Amino acid sequence: MGRKFNLFVLCVCLLAAGSIAISASTDQKAPPLTRLNVQVLGPQRLGPLPPVIVPPGNPQSSAKIHLGKELYFDARLSADGTVSCATCHNPALGWSDEGPTSKGIHGQLGGRRAPPVSNAAYAPLQFWDGRSPSLEDQAKGPIQNPIEMGNTHQAMIQTIDRISGYIEEFREVFGEGPITVDQVADAIAAFERTVVTTDSKFDRYARGDHQALTALEKEGLEIFNGKGHCTSCHWGPYFSDGRFHNLGVPAKDPKNPDKGRYDVTKDPRDMGAFKTPTVRDAARRAPYLHDGSEKTLESLIDFYDRGGGKDANLDPLMVPLGLAKHEKTALVAFIKALDSLNPEVADVKPIAPGDFHK
Amino acid sequence: MKKILSVTLGLVFVLLAFSQAALAIPAFARKYGYNCNNCHVAFPKLNDWGQRFRDNGYQTPGQAGYEKTVFETGIPIALRTNAGYSMYDGGEGMVSGFHLYNLDLLAAGVLHKNISFLFVYTPRVDEPAADFTGPGNGDNPAQLAAIESANVVFSNIIRDKLNLRVGRFEPGFQLLSSKRNYYILQPFEFYGFVGSRNGFDFSANHIGVEATGRFKPGLKYALGFINGSGANPDNNRFADLYFALSKTFGKGEGQSAGQRFGVFGYLGWQPADPGAPILSPLGDAAGLDNKTFYRLGGDISLNWKTLNLQAMAFRGVDDMAFNDLDPTTDYAFWGGVAQLDCACLANNRLVGSLMYNWVRPPSADSIGKIDAYSALVRYYLGSWSAVNVALHAEYTHRLVGSVLPFKEDLFTLLLDFDF
Repeated sequence: MGRKFNLFVLCVCLLAAGSIAISASTDQKAPPLTRLNVQVLGPQRLGPLPPVIVPPGNPQSSAKIHLGKELYFDARLSADGTVSCATCHNPALGWSDEGPTSKGIHGQLGGRRAPPVSNAAYAPLQFWDGRSPSLEDQAKGPIQNPIEMGNTHQAMIQTIDRISGYIEEFREVFGEGPITVDQVADAIAAFERTVVTTDSKFDRYARGDHQALTALEKEGLEIFNGKGHCTSCHWGPYFSDGRFHNLGVPAKDPKNPDKGRYDVTKDPRDMGAFKTPTVRDAARRAPYLHDGSEKTLESLIDFYDRGGGKDANLDPLMVPLGLAKHEKTALVAFIKALDSLNPEVADVKPIAPGDFHK
Repeated sequence: MKKILSVTLGLVFVLLAFSQAALAIPAFARKYGYNCNNCHVAFPKLNDWGQRFRDNGYQTPGQAGYEKTVFETGIPIALRTNAGYSMYDGGEGMVSGFHLYNLDLLAAGVLHKNISFLFVYTPRVDEPAADFTGPGNGDNPAQLAAIESANVVFSNIIRDKLNLRVGRFEPGFQLLSSKRNYYILQPFEFYGFVGSRNGFDFSANHIGVEATGRFKPGLKYALGFINGSGANPDNNRFADLYFALSKTFGKGEGQSAGQRFGVFGYLGWQPADPGAPILSPLGDAAGLDNKTFYRLGGDISLNWKTLNLQAMAFRGVDDMAFNDLDPTTDYAFWGGVAQLDCACLANNRLVGSLMYNWVRPPSADSIGKIDAYSALVRYYLGSWSAVNVALHAEYTHRLVGSVLPFKEDLFTLLLDFDF
């Protein structure tokens, strides 16, 4: 009895030690998304966004933000002068595009939908697969993507170098010296950090204005935070965990499915997983999901209500919800209450072609 | 009738007054900021998400490693209690009165990635039991002091295929959880049925170790070694063994979606002599006095929209050494339950349920037969983040014995409160 008991205790201790060892070894090879750059689980209450964190290497200034806005809307950053950041991240379309996936230079279609720029400053990682750690790094990517802006960084700089107005502005913002791609990215990122929601019906409610939400919207909030399990992933002020989940979205090309986060981490657990987008301003940027396969908020909620799609790597957070029709209606109403009332998010006018530097 | 009305109005008044003051929140919901329906169809019944959360060692499914530990969050303490008014008729006229039915103090949380714990303490409640059998003098309290749960969970030892639960826990052979059922006063009769001298209590939490895991798609197992329970601390030389296997068709866990089918088996040893000294390494180390018993059964849980039909039944067989009524044969009985739940209104504010319990003892046992018909309605007064206040009405008509059965009726209106 004593020997058996000791053996049993030993086994339990070994298993426990193994568990700790496994977790420790996992931490060592963690992908870029770590406890350090994303809020760990709990508390994760919904609420107003905190002030944007500005990286020390790229402080904000009004001149830099203005320059960034000009660059953001300037199609001359692309190879043939037809595609700007705003082409796919259009303020009038919820800082995304009409989809279902984004159209780049020469009418080429990308495989994914443009993620929203609004409130992207709060995302720990950028792009649907999180391959970029910052707005600055992200801003450089589409310029040289052959199916987005189709340019090279060198050619883009040469273009800017020929525009006297830009030369002056870069000098004012960054000082003397040649214009660099990092400066372009810093300016665009600085502008993007101003596209944040500080005011919405929900934010007013969260700050104590109990009349800010209608009864239906309040009911939607309850379901969002309860039976709908929305806050499992869309939590916190940013309404996103910044992580990656496989929702079982059917592949458009089953022989060549989009591997999502797996392409970055090569971790089989990330196969088919995509970053959780914020729900803020979601009502303004249909269609939905990384491939734009759900055309409306209603069809998107139906998709979740079914527990997502079928996939061998389906996220365990995905379960059928059993939502009644009126509960879905309430959810849609609440999501619409997350639309930004900030003019810098909801009412940004593109720079007219004639107003760009010559 | 006037009395009932006044009591009801009084309770509603207290509830409404109380609900305004309810600020505290249960441990998990407080940690995440969810409201209760994130994990519960309606408190306390788990939904599929909540079941996965429990299976994953009280960590968000698929998110182990991102959890804040109890050292980084507030004190993970929660409380559940219910109090109300009961009317009981056992054939000698109706008696009625207010009762405090139970009180649970819970603590739970994550200690380290993939290591978590659950602790539930139930203090002694020296109040008359709901059926008025307790005199309230301490001989038959409404609740005994006990450590209902005290266990540590080691999760994801081999991904989701092996987890270990060590300590006192709700074992996996209880395919339907009696702890997280809507019914507060009416138990699963067959869980607690004791017809022979074998004092094993199927419904109890047990001490031991349990391995659990899942295999895709929807196949879950549990294997355990536990002390069992009985007439004495059951420190015999044999640990009781059990297994449980369930398969859910469709998405979900069978709690609120998917169709689940499960089987289980339990093999135990108990001392047959009720007067035997406490068995210990110093006592009957050979375990010669131990005799076997087993339980073998299955369950289903079927879901359609907001309806959930769950049923479970088992065959219980105790060695003839336990059978005082007919010592020449084993004491064999059947028991089971069928329960139909419906959750409706926004965020499942309103719950209705019908339940039928039955126990069929051997023919020699004329007083063991049980039929119990129950119904309940629960209305949740709010959908707050991690506070639950439910107005709960429950009725049971119970028949005991096969010849001139003893009839009981129990109606209760109570407040179920946890934070």
